[in-house]
Amino acid sequence: MLKQGKINIAIILGIMCLFLTFGIFLQIKTVKNSTTGVGKTQIENELRDNVLRWKEKYDNLYSKSEKKEKELENLRQEASNSDETSKNLSSELEKYNSLLGLTDVEGPGIIVTLNDGDSSIMKGSATNYIVHDGDLLEIVNELKNAGAEAISINGQRIISRTGIECVGNVITVNGEKVGAPFVIKSIGLTSKLYGAIARPMGYAELLENYGVQVKIEQVDKNTIKIPKYEGIYKFDFASNIE
Amino acid sequence: MIIYLAIFLGCIIGAILGVNAPVISYTYSSYLSIAIIAALDTVFGGIASVVKKNFDLKIFLSGFFGNSILAIALTYLGNKLNVDIYLAAIIVFVGRMFNNLGIIRRYYIDRCVNIIESRKNKKQENK
Repeated sequence: MLKQGKINIAIILGIMCLFLTFGIFLQIKTVKNSTTGVGKTQIENELRDNVLRWKEKYDNLYSKSEKKEKELENLRQEASNSDETSKNLSSELEKYNSLLGLTDVEGPGIIVTLNDGDSSIMKGSATNYIVHDGDLLEIVNELKNAGAEAISINGQRIISRTGIECVGNVITVNGEKVGAPFVIKSIGLTSKLYGAIARPMGYAELLENYGVQVKIEQVDKNTIKIPKYEGIYKFDFASNIE
Repeated sequence: MIIYLAIFLGCIIGAILGVNAPVISYTYSSYLSIAIIAALDTVFGGIASVVKKNFDLKIFLSGFFGNSILAIALTYLGNKLNVDIYLAAIIVFVGRMFNNLGIIRRYYIDRCVNIIESRKNKKQENK
């Protein structure tokens, strides 16, 4: 004894429930993806909320800027195709950009991985066996001395103006947080770089003696990829002396 | 009965779609959550009105969309004014949900009692 009206009601209610559960599951998924746990206080939750919002905004803007950069690159290429002098200029521009660290590069080199010592095995003060900003600086310095052409720490390109800094319990490179394990990639003459890092009484050995886990990997083929510097070069105060 | 079957089917299909849908951005999830509460309220209201036999499609549909949109708008306004207006919306919706649930509950308890009593009466007649 089904009336037409009742069937209509059933269909409408069914569709509503479809929307409802769809929304609920979507929400559950979103919340699961974006929060690692419920904070203890309201303020903590709000802060996390804000961080997530800002991160999203940042990601959006970053993808936009990447798009624009690609457009710029295309325009540049079009412009340089037209005549000989601008062709030279564009190749020069490319050269300087790669010198400044504004291009993704690849090549042979070594990968040094520094990790904090295992606190369950190690004895003594934790300061000894965790990786400090100074350790990274030393390693980078050694690599530079050995003629590394491009260096990155956890994906952060080391350029002429990079600062490696200790901020509380994290280290920042280029103002971006990096954490253990630190993967220091460098491109250069592999044997020279390896010698500089792995030499007896070198800094890597010193770190190992302190309890830091050091792994040095030689890569002879062009398989090390180092990303470009993602910040902006600003020159507000220095001007050239004619 | 067909109404509950439809609700059940709708829930299952919605769940499958929801699990496979892409994740929305976190900024909008607070609006979605308030819309979910509004929709939940409307569905309970719909069932209650079916039980009361005064179901009106126009009122139901306008309530669904109107409530959701108003709730989202209030949340947005609250965000801008730094007042947690969405709490008020949640309280109203959840309060109504309990009301409607009460109506549904009463209806089914009455029916059960009626059935049991009629059986008793029959037994007494048979004796």
